[in-house]
Amino acid sequence: MQQVLMKVENVSKSYQMGEVSVNALQNADFELYEGEFVVILGPSGSGKSTLLNIMGGMDLPTEGRILVKDEEITGYNDRKLTAYRREKVGFVFQFYNLMANLTARENVELATEICKGALNIDDVMAEVGLGDRKDYFPSQMSGGEQQRVAIARAVAKNPLLLLCDEPTGALDFQTGILILELLHKINKTFNKTVVIITHNMAIGDMGDRVIKMRSGKIVEIKVNQNPIPPERIEW
Amino acid sequence: MKKLDIRLLRMIKHSKGQFISVVVIVAVALLIYMLFNVTSINIRSAVDNYYALTNLNDIHIQLVKIPKGALSELLTIEGVKTVQGRVSFDVPLQVENKDERVNIRLISIPPDEEKINILYRLSGKRAKLGIDNAFLLEQFAKARNIGPGDKLSPKINGRVHELSVSGIAASSEFIYLMENEQAIMPVPEKFGVAFVSEEFAQSVSGYGGSYNELLVIVEDESKMDDVIDRLEKKLDKYGVKRMIERKDQLSHNVLIQKMDGVEKMATILPVMFLSVGAIIISIMLSRIVQNDRMAIGVLKALGYSNLSIMSHYTKYVLAIGMIGSFIGITGGLLLAGPFSQLFAVYFNIPLIRIGIYYGFIISALILTSVFCILSGLIGARSVLRIMPADSMRPEAPKSGKRILLERIVFLWRRVAFSWKMVIRNIMRNKRRFAFLVLGLALAYAINTVPLFEAEAFTDIFELQFGQYQKMDYTIEFSRPMNKQVIKDLSHLIDASIMEPELKFPFELKNGWREKTTGVIGLPRSTRLYEFRNSQDVKVTLPEKGFFITEALSKTLQVKKGDRITIKNFVPGKDDIVITVSDVIKQYLGANAYMDIEAMQELLADQQMITGVSMKSQDEVKEKLKDVYNISAVNSVADMKNSFMEYLDTMYVAIVFYLVFGGILGFAIIYNATIIGIAERNMEFASLRVMGFDKKDIFRMVNRENFVMTFIAILVGMPIGLGMINGIINAFSTDIITFPKIIAPSIFINAAAATIFFVVIAQLAARRKIYTMNFIDALKSRIS
Ligand SMILES: Nc1ncnc2c1ncn2[C@@H]1O[C@H](COP(=O)(O)OP(=O)(O)OP(=O)(O)O)[C@@H](O)[C@H]1O
Ligand SMILES: [Mg+2]
Repeated sequence: MQQVLMKVENVSKSYQMGEVSVNALQNADFELYEGEFVVILGPSGSGKSTLLNIMGGMDLPTEGRILVKDEEITGYNDRKLTAYRREKVGFVFQFYNLMANLTARENVELATEICKGALNIDDVMAEVGLGDRKDYFPSQMSGGEQQRVAIARAVAKNPLLLLCDEPTGALDFQTGILILELLHKINKTFNKTVVIITHNMAIGDMGDRVIKMRSGKIVEIKVNQNPIPPERIEW
Repeated sequence: MKKLDIRLLRMIKHSKGQFISVVVIVAVALLIYMLFNVTSINIRSAVDNYYALTNLNDIHIQLVKIPKGALSELLTIEGVKTVQGRVSFDVPLQVENKDERVNIRLISIPPDEEKINILYRLSGKRAKLGIDNAFLLEQFAKARNIGPGDKLSPKINGRVHELSVSGIAASSEFIYLMENEQAIMPVPEKFGVAFVSEEFAQSVSGYGGSYNELLVIVEDESKMDDVIDRLEKKLDKYGVKRMIERKDQLSHNVLIQKMDGVEKMATILPVMFLSVGAIIISIMLSRIVQNDRMAIGVLKALGYSNLSIMSHYTKYVLAIGMIGSFIGITGGLLLAGPFSQLFAVYFNIPLIRIGIYYGFIISALILTSVFCILSGLIGARSVLRIMPADSMRPEAPKSGKRILLERIVFLWRRVAFSWKMVIRNIMRNKRRFAFLVLGLALAYAINTVPLFEAEAFTDIFELQFGQYQKMDYTIEFSRPMNKQVIKDLSHLIDASIMEPELKFPFELKNGWREKTTGVIGLPRSTRLYEFRNSQDVKVTLPEKGFFITEALSKTLQVKKGDRITIKNFVPGKDDIVITVSDVIKQYLGANAYMDIEAMQELLADQQMITGVSMKSQDEVKEKLKDVYNISAVNSVADMKNSFMEYLDTMYVAIVFYLVFGGILGFAIIYNATIIGIAERNMEFASLRVMGFDKKDIFRMVNRENFVMTFIAILVGMPIGLGMINGIINAFSTDIITFPKIIAPSIFINAAAATIFFVVIAQLAARRKIYTMNFIDALKSRIS
């Protein structure tokens, strides 16, 4: 039986917009296992990012609890939540979001210098295929290369959990596949739990499980008996 | 090094211009603070030191006559430590140029060593003073180029004496050398002091065996008032004319007022500079934070705490504060030495010890820290509002609102498109615009102050000697005369108007407030004096009662209709109580005026006059130069000339202030422009893509700055007016009252100066626009 890493218990999030309240997320309830590759799938506005942010301790739910290894993070204060993000979670963003005036290597160090038990930076950089671009500034790199730096930045912290919000959203098909291969490799070699968000159905095929969302609700959790490797994905 | 710190350094490197311009503001602020304060302290301590060294008198008494023998009796008075008598009188000095009128004060010093007001730095070895030699005061000797061995020819009671100069000396009594309270500034080539033997002074003046002045040192300065009371009683029979405490002593008083002025500036200017600096810093920082929104989100997502992110941005300000205060404090300390020396030379104060005053360093650092931390926190506080989840979201669209003007459709339609952009952009960030306007308004206001001063000094002179006093010459007699002398004078001189004057110093008293001042008696029908009251209405002298100046009414706290006491020093005359008939304007000196006949009757003797004033085109000086019993012939034209020379030195100060105001204006406009450009990178890039060229964009930014400058000048006018009023109140003294006449030219010239610096800042910022890469701007999403 797989170890439970995170328990999402009946989590809801609503935004108050003047008179009306928007239910961005309603009663999400599932478990996340160690070492699995999960794909969250759904159309735009269905609440994917909202769920991911709450899981990553970047936002708080209006209702429900989240337990990470039996510790409730939803009750954390700001300081503890910050520590949780620092030590346990790695983020990858759609638009890479690197610091423009830091080099690739420095961007990675920015994340590792504040957390304990970080991996060797050069190894990680080599792993993501950027061994020779370490001293480049973001403006000197392509989108795909920048996303690799972002992944290195998330991985080098050696987090429990890698959360990626549309990591291929800004990339072309070829480069997107390469990034997915990288995430897949990290999932397998470091045995890291990876959650990626996408609205691309085809990507769902590579996940161990697929969480399908629509208008703030989880409509289906599908278990893939035989996930296909990313290089065979077509869309 | 921490990666965030590396990022900070690169950020600074990227915005060098902005960073340096704010550093300059902080540096200038602290430089002024240190320089002015340390110089003032240096001078004050040098002066104190000098007073102690030369044993400057605590009380200076002028009286009619006191026999030498009476002095020992004074020593028995409780609280009196030392007494020294002397003979002092002013006489004309004959010089090569027959038209030049030079006065010299002859002061006797004791035959043995002087115990009070010891001469300082007497050149050469101390010669013995006899009946044919004298020591000369340094400033006068220098101004007239007189050295040891040269001859002086004072004319005493119509007879020219010959004294050879045996030495040059400085005196703590005459640090600031002025002939009397009416003098506007020292004119060392026209008035000097020579120290002569008692023997000589007494023999030529008719004071054989007695003195007309006493110098007193008290045991305890805090009991000064009691000692003065006791002395007054004791000396009554010798006809006390004036008792001058050290604080009222002319040279000391002027010196202290100068230092007070310097110290006021030492606070006002830095606070203004730092305020403007703080405005720029907080705007700059909030711009950076806003631009970094996503980066801050990422940092939070990575697990950086609010505190460490805030301190990342506050370090930017800290760097400004540290570098600025280091340069400012070091510069201030380095310059304070030479600056103090310069002051010391100017004031003729020997022995200047230049101290390092750690207290000021500390207070300077506290001052900077307060301003920097405050502006840093204000600028960076929006960091707290940014959520980590913001890192995921693309930039929030700027809220676009219709501005009020747009609702007035028929007006808005008439506005050209490029102006619409300008106006919208200003309205987009009203608060920042308001701050920038305020800063620029302060810079403008700083410019108005020196211009006002220059204007005021000219006005003072022209009002005083053009309107209020219309004479060409005033003549002072060496002793009171009968008014019959006017007849004699009118035979000598061809004058269109000639009027008698009776002038004596009296102590005016209102309750505990008292002030010794020259009371002047004039014919009620005077045509040489014009009196105007506070409402600027012409008034004539009353039969009874008297006029006092605005300055006096302030010191004594009296108004029209109040009654005050005049203490009479003339032996055998009683104190009188008199009504203030009106308060009049007078910008130079502070006098009281009354009808000459009333004054003769109440305070002096029938028919007595002490001088004459006249309107004449005649060669007055030449004709009177050999006339017996005349101690001074003052020509208004001469005063005007030396005043003009004095004004020249003021222009240096004016340029100083204009540069200060200019630095502020430059920094504000430069930063505002750069920030504006950086912020609207995308917008400009889009405009460029649409086919606007660099010049169009520059013109647009220009227009915004122009509107800002225009509004700032409007706002700055009342601020400048307030500062000018502050100057009028703070810097008006017994000697000079600033007129509340504020010419429009001040505001126009200040505007010209402000606009000049704005244009320079624009040109400096233009490079940024011209080198802006709009392709990059469109590509980049995060800084
Ligand atoms: N800060 C907010 N305030 C108000 N409503 C919000 C806020 N953030 C998200 N929402 C709303 O919550 C809903 C879910 O948003 P979410 O960003 O989770 O969607 P998403 O599935 O990630 O969409 P996309 O694929 O476009 O990124 C949307 O309707 C959105 O409008
Ligand atoms: Mg999303």
